[in-house]
Amino acid sequence: MTNPNKPVKAARYGMAIDLDRCSGCGACMVACAVENNVPPAHQGANDRKGLTWVRVYKVDNGGEGDGRRSAFIPVMCQHCGNETPCVHVCPQQAVDVDPSTGVVGEMPERCLGCRYCMAACPYHARYFNWWDPAWPAGMEKALNPDVSPRMRGVVEKCNFCHGRWHAARRQAVADGKSDMEPVAYLPACAEACPAKAITFGDLNDAASPVAVAAKDCNSFRLLEKLDTDPKIHYISKRDWVRRIADAPRPGDGKESRRG
Amino acid sequence: MTTTRRNLFKLAGGATVGVLFTPAPWRLLTDTALLSETWPGVPVPRHGEVTFQFGNCSLCPAGCAVRARSVANQPVSLAGVPAHPLSHGALCAFGIAGHHLPYHPDRLKSGPVAAADAAVRTALGQLRDTERCAVLDLRPGRTASWTYRRAMAAIHNGIYLAPLEPVPVNLAAAKTVLSLGAPLFDNWGTPGNVIAARDHFRLIQVEPVESRTAAMADLWLPIRPDSEEALVLGLANLLLADKKVAGLPAGFTDRVREFPPTVAASRSGIGEQQIAALAHELQNNGPALVLGANGSPYAAALNLILGAPGHTLVSRREAPVPDEWKKAAPVSDLASVRDGSIGVLLIDESVTGDAPPWSAIQPKLANKAVVVTFAWSKDGYGRQATYTLPTAVYPETVDDIPPAVDSPAAAFRLSAAWIAPPDGVANPADFVGALAGIAVKDALQERAAAIRKSGRGSLFVPSSATSTPARDVKPDDFWKMLQAGATWIDDVDANAAPPKLDLAFPAEAPNQVLPLVVAVTEPDAPALVSPLLSKLYQESNLHLPPQSVALHPSDARSCGLETGSHARLETGCGSIAVDVIVDPDVPPGVVEVSGGPGIRKICGASSRARVVRS
Repeated sequence: MTNPNKPVKAARYGMAIDLDRCSGCGACMVACAVENNVPPAHQGANDRKGLTWVRVYKVDNGGEGDGRRSAFIPVMCQHCGNETPCVHVCPQQAVDVDPSTGVVGEMPERCLGCRYCMAACPYHARYFNWWDPAWPAGMEKALNPDVSPRMRGVVEKCNFCHGRWHAARRQAVADGKSDMEPVAYLPACAEACPAKAITFGDLNDAASPVAVAAKDCNSFRLLEKLDTDPKIHYISKRDWVRRIADAPRPGDGKESRRG
Repeated sequence: MTTTRRNLFKLAGGATVGVLFTPAPWRLLTDTALLSETWPGVPVPRHGEVTFQFGNCSLCPAGCAVRARSVANQPVSLAGVPAHPLSHGALCAFGIAGHHLPYHPDRLKSGPVAAADAAVRTALGQLRDTERCAVLDLRPGRTASWTYRRAMAAIHNGIYLAPLEPVPVNLAAAKTVLSLGAPLFDNWGTPGNVIAARDHFRLIQVEPVESRTAAMADLWLPIRPDSEEALVLGLANLLLADKKVAGLPAGFTDRVREFPPTVAASRSGIGEQQIAALAHELQNNGPALVLGANGSPYAAALNLILGAPGHTLVSRREAPVPDEWKKAAPVSDLASVRDGSIGVLLIDESVTGDAPPWSAIQPKLANKAVVVTFAWSKDGYGRQATYTLPTAVYPETVDDIPPAVDSPAAAFRLSAAWIAPPDGVANPADFVGALAGIAVKDALQERAAAIRKSGRGSLFVPSSATSTPARDVKPDDFWKMLQAGATWIDDVDANAAPPKLDLAFPAEAPNQVLPLVVAVTEPDAPALVSPLLSKLYQESNLHLPPQSVALHPSDARSCGLETGSHARLETGCGSIAVDVIVDPDVPPGVVEVSGGPGIRKICGASSRARVVRS
């Protein structure tokens, strides 16, 4: 079946994150929650039951005293392009890869909450809605109308700010351009990063800053050995940071100490 | 074919299995799920016309420029303004969710405004000659601050109290920055400006704990807790050698002689060679700048030795004010006020700033003193004040934001007022102005006119991302542009004399009863923050939760504490209830404390503490 909305020239949106610039301020996490109507923590939420579409992990080189060095790694859905694990396990076809953007999308309306996708995701980048989404009285007025809040009992995750992509397409049409072409837009985390550590764009466009950054000699991807072809590229000049890429989960040792 | 009971069962069984291979049951499941998604508890966002507005964030002195995306005149998201010459497009985590503050459940919306006004007027009428009426302003330099000063000049025995303003820093001129625990990457100064300047200087962070700034530094020197003074004296010993530096107190130079590098190394835990290399780098890779936490006089002395005044430490003119305002009360320090002499105290706590601990304020109060605090929530001085009056929160009110510590030139910008405040709130400047009979309604506009009249500086307009000399802007347009989010930036005064540094070394306090050294590693949060900040601590481990401390396991054991224990953090300035986290990454002898106004008040001026189980 042909997709009438499929652009003539498909995009492959991706990110390059310079870990040497990330100061772990958390602005990306807050901006993501504001943009995507992710509710504040329920009283019973913790680091395992919370909703953080992008999560910044603090990692260290394992050294002691003045040999110790730390870095911060923002981890969100890696938008795997090859054998996307979450797509394969979903019994509801609630997860798919958009061929026109390469974005792994989640349809909460279809999700049954079985959490197979969470178990399958090697990056731990999917989150389950354990509670009804709730905002303090009056704060629902400040919700973003471009994104629907999700119900309790479904899985949610980063979608590269799909609402912004739609808005950019609408704007392109209003400006007289074809909606079949890839559009330029910025997800909330990339826009919010005060250190300008996040570059976003079309990886298929070889001249784009993100494609250039992805080809940097210090660029790497998480768990590349799994051959999932993630679209999030990380950059660091530090060897020990690049070696973190093969750990099952960044910041593993830290989890039980705080939070 | 005969219809038998067995065949009927076969048909039913076969049909059931067959149906499982059709889409029907799976579709039914999906539809069931769809029904479950439309429960009435899920809020539906409002729709309407999308507009963009510009303004400035007033949550901290950085005053970062903000662009708000509003739907039906309600801000739904905030972002920085990339071309802004001061904030460079950055907005911190607090600022990004600032539009949530009006709806914070802990926010005060009404209070006894009329009763407080009557009580203050009665108390003013009954003040003795030896008693004073004081205003304590946590963020001096604003137009509201000038109103307070004018009012205190008009009221008999009035006095205006404010924290000392730090000497402005020109980060762009620095090639080497030695930070003695200054939180450069934790909302120090203007975050965007620090990041923009970062590529041009080498950062050496001296701190016992590996904070976010230490993680971002070119070199982190984990110093033994509470021994920064020994390191500075050791560095001064090497840098001074036989050189004489004017302005250094004699007591300091005497002490420097007692700290050859060997002594400094043994006290600080930093190697002798490392100290020598550090001194060499500071001397030879200048201009250098030394930043200390809480305006450390040791950092100031090192700056003087390195010749920072006039280069990386600069003098800054204040934004002009109308001539008639200049008959105002001078700025006084709380410590200079006689004990038991304040009969009426009005505290403007509606802005974030250096808040003195209550233990420093209380001795200054007379018997039966009336204390009124203007605040966003009850968590500040509201616990001790006679009256706590609610004020408008960001972004509900127009106020000006004085320049941050890293701004070499004066600036004038207005905070955004995109949401209408509730009816029951008070405006502290109006309240204080009315006591003195001063009309303050148009004070901001009057000051803007004085700035425009001076002909100094330029006006940055965020909507067009252009700067125009202020003298080329029509007076009416100047005010309109400021209201629309523009920023006036003064010219740098090339003829300004180098700033004078505060080299008042505190008397050594006997702190032996407080065994732990305080390390504040979290940003100084405003009185209220968006509930979404829970993403950074409750729902992840990125930051320490508010009202909490982290201890090394050995210290926690000796205090009988474990993760999750409720305890009290006690310093020389007071105590506060905290939750305990045990973390082997915290060095022994250190208590890492979270941000937040309550903790800052008791830890700001005190470097030692103890944690006691409650």
